[in-house]
Amino acid sequence: MASSAPGPAGSPAAIRITLVGHVQGVGFRPFVYRLANEHGIRGSVQNRVGEVEVVAVADPAVLDAFQAELIERAPPLSRPRISGVEPIVELTEETVATGFEIISSSAGADAQVFVPPDYFMCDDCRRELDDAADRRYQYPFINCTQCGPRYTLIESLPYDRPNTSMSGFPLCAECEKEYLEPTDRRFHAEPVACERCGPRLCFEADGQGSVDDNHAALDAAVVALRDGQVVAVKGIGGYHLVCDARRAEVVDKLRQRKHRPDKPLAVMFPVEGDDALAAANRYVRFRDSEAQLAASPMRPIALAAGKPGSGLAPNIAPGLGEIGVFLPYSPLHKLLLEKFGGPLVATSGNISGEPVLTDNGEAAARLGNIADAHLHHDRPIVRPADDPVFRHIDGAMRPLRLGRGCAPVEMSLAWPQERPVLAVGGHMKGTVALSWDRRVVVSPHIGEMDSPRSLAVFEQVAADLQTLYGVRAERIVCDAHPGYTTHKWALRQPGVAIEKVWHHEAHASALAAEIDATGPWLVFTWDGVGLGEDQTLWGGEALSGSAGDWQRVASMRTFRLPGGERAGREPWRSAAALHWECDLRWPDCPDTDGLAHAAWRRQMNAPETSAVGRLFDAAAALICEVPVTSFEAQGPMMLENLCRDAGDVIELPLLVGGDGVLRSDWQPLLEVIADKKRSKRDRAEAFHTSIAMALLRQAETVRERQVVERVGLCGGVFQNRVLAEQATALLRSEGFEVWLPTELPCNDAALSFGQAAEIAARGN
Amino acid sequence: MEDKRISLAHGNGGRFMRELIEDVFARQLAASELDVQADAVVIELGDGEVMITTDGFTVQPLEFPGGDIGSLAVHGTTNDLAVSGARPMYLTLNAFIEEGFETERLERIVGSLAEAALESGVRISAGDTKVVRRGEGGGIYLATTGVGVRLPGVKPSMSLIEDGDVMIVSGPVGDHGTAVMLAREEFGLRGDLISDAGPVMQLTEPLLALDGLRFMRDPTRGGIASIGHEIVKATGLGVRFEATIPVREPVQSVCEMLGYDPYYLACEGRVVAVVAADQVDAALDIWRDIPSGREAARIGRITAAEERVILETPLGGERFLEELEDDPLPRIC
Repeated sequence: MASSAPGPAGSPAAIRITLVGHVQGVGFRPFVYRLANEHGIRGSVQNRVGEVEVVAVADPAVLDAFQAELIERAPPLSRPRISGVEPIVELTEETVATGFEIISSSAGADAQVFVPPDYFMCDDCRRELDDAADRRYQYPFINCTQCGPRYTLIESLPYDRPNTSMSGFPLCAECEKEYLEPTDRRFHAEPVACERCGPRLCFEADGQGSVDDNHAALDAAVVALRDGQVVAVKGIGGYHLVCDARRAEVVDKLRQRKHRPDKPLAVMFPVEGDDALAAANRYVRFRDSEAQLAASPMRPIALAAGKPGSGLAPNIAPGLGEIGVFLPYSPLHKLLLEKFGGPLVATSGNISGEPVLTDNGEAAARLGNIADAHLHHDRPIVRPADDPVFRHIDGAMRPLRLGRGCAPVEMSLAWPQERPVLAVGGHMKGTVALSWDRRVVVSPHIGEMDSPRSLAVFEQVAADLQTLYGVRAERIVCDAHPGYTTHKWALRQPGVAIEKVWHHEAHASALAAEIDATGPWLVFTWDGVGLGEDQTLWGGEALSGSAGDWQRVASMRTFRLPGGERAGREPWRSAAALHWECDLRWPDCPDTDGLAHAAWRRQMNAPETSAVGRLFDAAAALICEVPVTSFEAQGPMMLENLCRDAGDVIELPLLVGGDGVLRSDWQPLLEVIADKKRSKRDRAEAFHTSIAMALLRQAETVRERQVVERVGLCGGVFQNRVLAEQATALLRSEGFEVWLPTELPCNDAALSFGQAAEIAARGN
Repeated sequence: MEDKRISLAHGNGGRFMRELIEDVFARQLAASELDVQADAVVIELGDGEVMITTDGFTVQPLEFPGGDIGSLAVHGTTNDLAVSGARPMYLTLNAFIEEGFETERLERIVGSLAEAALESGVRISAGDTKVVRRGEGGGIYLATTGVGVRLPGVKPSMSLIEDGDVMIVSGPVGDHGTAVMLAREEFGLRGDLISDAGPVMQLTEPLLALDGLRFMRDPTRGGIASIGHEIVKATGLGVRFEATIPVREPVQSVCEMLGYDPYYLACEGRVVAVVAADQVDAALDIWRDIPSGREAARIGRITAAEERVILETPLGGERFLEELEDDPLPRIC
């Protein structure tokens, strides 16, 4: 820490401290104000774009203590860093002022901007919410500088009320007083609101009038839910479709209307007990890490083992052992769950694959066929943020999806970007990233990119990130696949340089950049499909090197997928492909008249792939007998759920192709997974363990040829905990250092970050 | 003719060639009053703007359920005139025959061509035949040029298309493309898959009387999806296909099995029309009274909202229908 400038003997010194990091929208200025008053310091504090400037006049010793406490005692949501301390030689009016004041924000330029995520209600607000004497008693939109919406309501920076979606709610006298009083905990709480001046609920049901009073609307929603209805509830980052999670017929109604027959539904539990999880604990068996994260201010969906016979409807997550659990993430949800008094299904209010709906009119129109009633509110949601999802894998909670409460995600790079970059990600689980200097800001989950609404949200977020952070992208990085919506979008942008990154190189660079930039790495990038350099569909690749310089060293024996893209939802095609590739007949093949086989033989719409994701599909089709599924990875998830222990090891021959790439041959495993004489569990376990062993064999063989210290596992396949944990255990037992991503999902959501990292590395 | 196959001599200008033209072409095309001796002929068109179009035909296989290259050479060209608002009247015919081609097969194809011409009300007014060396042609290629006269009424054009207009189709889509694909790959013929190849004049002519008619096109190569893209490119407006596009069950099931999208497959006897929203019902009523338009349906609308081709799915979703690519690689799996 820089020491204070010495003043004349016995006289105070004056310094200017600049703080960066998460210092806006988190109650930092009132904190500085209180701290300065505590120490009897004169001066001022001011928000500039992305940074806070403090002028402090006091004895040098006092200033030293002040600087230390600025960091040590900072508010919980802030993450300040002192970026500069300079002595002020000339005393001006501000430095000779008698007190300490908060100066209004300045719209300066060129600074380290941070956009805060949306957070759950803090303890202070919770107390007020529950206090019948408080003027915000049971007010569903209570918030303060330490909690409440941020990312989803900021229109532009600096973060001040006129620049948010609260600009349409003039403050009442009492709120204004709190907002302007530096010692108040709502001083400059931009979304501050109360029953009198703030957002309001509105309940609407077919054939009934609308209920506008906050409490009456909430009560009406609870009555509808008790009556077994599906209610669309507007939250922080979008709508949820909500219904009673204990009634199978109600859940089934939601599934039928949403055309979502099998995909697991998230369940929200009432806050109960000291750790808030008492109610949830009756239905699921949490690991400590799951419980801790579920109750954190982020309030994500945590996957946790369901308790059999707990009373949850069996069709919440058919065929799966885990339930997606979350706690109320806003005062509105806390009140709703409390009044309802039991678990509620709360699934994204969207059309399959699209971003969650945020606009009242659009939600009413597009969810009208699904929901019996709507619980709207009138605070506009500036941009959607879906619920984040985490799963415990290999000793840590790892994200499967980023969203409300954790996005935008801040990442840093070991290499600076030559020029600002917009990285547009992939085609599934779309995210977009903006990168400049050594920073990368990654958007929340957007959706599958082939729908107009996904593209519209993508365009909005891409533009908003640039506006909010004051950075204009001079380059666009996209996946090399020419058919991706994001690739085509990139090509349509005028006057911007376009760079392409191969799908699996982006995966590998995402991992390497998150963990440690320095190589050499051996990264297993296993997923569904992505276009590879040889124009085949990769997905079982091991890449060696470091970001900016990857070589494929290992892969899987390739096979051709009958019907191309359709293989994604129809695991039977992968199972058929493996049989046909080996000239074997598959008696249960749904291609009863041989049409698909005939087309496959003629190589019509039968692209070649090495994707491990498709091997899992094949195993699921054969073992779980799910020829056709209704959502991505349904088969592999059911397959994983069959496993209890490590299984038999079927060694897969490792061959070296003409291109020098090692290839594991899955044929011996096909015979085992197709063997109906063995139990399903036995076959599922043998499949997982043999694939994990094949991974180890590849790593060992590569290590015989070159230095391999760090092994990385990424790509959607490693969302499979059984595979990931067996692979990491095997690798560690052979002396490898093994890494999985923890900041970003291992799936395609990380592609945007990986593309940005790859481009930065190439330039260095 | 004594020989059962076409030889190079059939193209050398001598006796073989004269016999081929007289025996195979002139005899079957007799109704066309084809003058095989003349270098050029006079055609009588009557009043109205003259419209002309030309097309080449290389379909494989040459014969498929519901048609062959001969009937296709008539329908393909005359239908282009019909959707442009003309009544087709004359065709010229060029045949490029590969050495070794079976004469009997040639006779079948020319016979089918003659029948299609009769059905379409056009005369073959001029023609030419060439024989190419073995291995240099796919059995037979045909090229036809069609001449017609614009009918009174609307002059259909993409430039008339407006925001809010509605798209209709005269019948189920994808039959021709599916039937030809199955026949080409010798997958074993399925009795329920037949090309829709046929004339569309009876569909197009009555629509010209509707002042709300904007544009017509037959969805051949690239299917209805490609018509969508052509409209977007030409007008700067967007096209939204709705979940009501008729596809026959056998076509749907073959497409599902093979992973193809029927909206990209060719039809050879269907018409897509863009009409003003207030005349959709009138247009559909006209078509549904005609046998080949019995299954006519509304399939989409024109929108100024986005300059894209979008498909609304039965489940309330929306997805982009991208421009047709040769052998697109899967993006998802």
